[in-house]
Amino acid sequence: MSEFTASETPESIAPPPAGFSFENVKRNAAISASGTTGAYTQAKAMKTGTTIVGTIFKGGVVLGADTRATGDTTVCDKNCEKIHYMAPNIYCCGAGTAADTEKTTELIASQLELLRMSTKTQSRIVTACTLLKRMLFRYQGHVSAALVLGGCDINGPHVYQIYPHGSTGKLPYTTMGSGSLAAMSVFESEWKEDMTEDEAKGLVERAITAGIFNDLGSGSNCDTCVIRMDGSIQMNRGALKENPVEPLRDAIKRSDRFNFPRGTTAVLSTEFVAHKTKGLSLDDVDVVTMDTN
Amino acid sequence: MTSLPLPPHSSPRPLLTSPLPRSALTHANGIQRLPIHHSEPHSMAVPASFDQQPGADSIDHGVTEAPYERRFSPYDFNGGTTLAISGPDFAVVAGDTRMSTGYEILSRDVSKLHPLTDHCVLASAGCKTDVDQLRSVLDIRSDMYRHNHQKDMKVTSVAQMLGNTLYGRRFFPYYSFNVLAGVDAEGKGAVYSYDAIGSFERTHFSASGSGQSFVVPLLDNVIVHKNRQDEKRELGAEEVVEIVKDAFVTAGERDIYTGDKLEIMVITKDGIQKSTFPLKAD
Repeated sequence: MSEFTASETPESIAPPPAGFSFENVKRNAAISASGTTGAYTQAKAMKTGTTIVGTIFKGGVVLGADTRATGDTTVCDKNCEKIHYMAPNIYCCGAGTAADTEKTTELIASQLELLRMSTKTQSRIVTACTLLKRMLFRYQGHVSAALVLGGCDINGPHVYQIYPHGSTGKLPYTTMGSGSLAAMSVFESEWKEDMTEDEAKGLVERAITAGIFNDLGSGSNCDTCVIRMDGSIQMNRGALKENPVEPLRDAIKRSDRFNFPRGTTAVLSTEFVAHKTKGLSLDDVDVVTMDTN
Repeated sequence: MTSLPLPPHSSPRPLLTSPLPRSALTHANGIQRLPIHHSEPHSMAVPASFDQQPGADSIDHGVTEAPYERRFSPYDFNGGTTLAISGPDFAVVAGDTRMSTGYEILSRDVSKLHPLTDHCVLASAGCKTDVDQLRSVLDIRSDMYRHNHQKDMKVTSVAQMLGNTLYGRRFFPYYSFNVLAGVDAEGKGAVYSYDAIGSFERTHFSASGSGQSFVVPLLDNVIVHKNRQDEKRELGAEEVVEIVKDAFVTAGERDIYTGDKLEIMVITKDGIQKSTFPLKAD
């Protein structure tokens, strides 16, 4: 799978075949075509209906993301991480199918690490972008990862947007995900060149907030990540927490019907089985006093 | 009796084909079609057979693999959750005020509650335009009842009227999920739950709409006392209102269509008492 895998790995220590397994594709297609109802339905993946953004500023890059993950119309995760590590100087925001964004960024982060060990040079953003787009293009959009890639290298701060089919754009600022229009409306009205770090962070937070409140696929908190030209990183999980539930809970007089005293659940039968299926238990050991001299 | 001539636009297309798009039906709880009450599982086909668009299941980022027919859909799902709980001499009915479509919020302050008489409130989620039309029909019918009988409709009568009105559109249903709450002639709390085509039942409590699946199991335990061995006791209106708030805050945490504001009405023989409670806006 890796573009940097040595080809002459000995057979005896060869790892299992790399890449995706397609062995059930024909079977699943046959079951789907047979029209069996109820017995088989395609598993639904968790999506991150998302707002993710990235912008450059005078001395680096700011990335931002909301923290809601959804499965259909249900919120699966109220505080998920959408800003992924790629390299010490590169991070990547992901929207789309949660597993795809996580695994794609992990895979390319691993390839970048190997490349750094081989070349003994800092990773460049354009390299990460090329590896990602090659991977996504190979799978023709079936790997649903829409990415905002950002970081700083020898050539300065860069932000790239990468679509699931593998097309990319190099931009000063960009947004992706279901909240991208809400976020872009903020960027288009307020973005300017050579912002300070604080200006850029504020702008990113406002853009994500627009997504959180106006897009139902986005919600909860705002995460930001600043990558500076001096090589320092500031990952800020929960930079903004504008949706706390505690004030609402505190305003409710909680009914004691929500308390469950011992005996609330009916006990049908009880049986005690000692945990001794494998290995040793105390019964098998002669206890000897420890020699403490 | 002579038959009326058919209007010119009536087509030989069988009415049994509903124009509901798949997207409008997969909205809540993985339900693939209008949740219509059945006495037996798989007993019959739902009146509306919902055409699936080719490619709806495959991964398609705006790239069409095969041509398919586009069709206008008269239905939309505008989300939201409603809930009603009956008590010995009161009924509590509540609904959130968010109106949405797809991933968009259309309004943060649209009521799902509609008082039909001084002691009877209809709570409806679903397609807002259908809900508006249904409310208007019910208002007219209850006005006619008042003029004909010189008295307000009793809750039991309103319940029957709603069932009849919904069944009148058996083959092109109002896309509305209704809960009716009020106090009956004896002063007891009354809650009725409905499916989209008029099957109804007087129940202890009822929830409907997008957050239904989060609220029902909670209230089954807390209100109906299912799966509990500890002692059951009568709950007062104030305590029920607090439980309702709790239920909606919880639904709002997990259902993207429930939020912004909660509207609560407590119905007693003396009338309707209204209150609101804020919900999260994300």
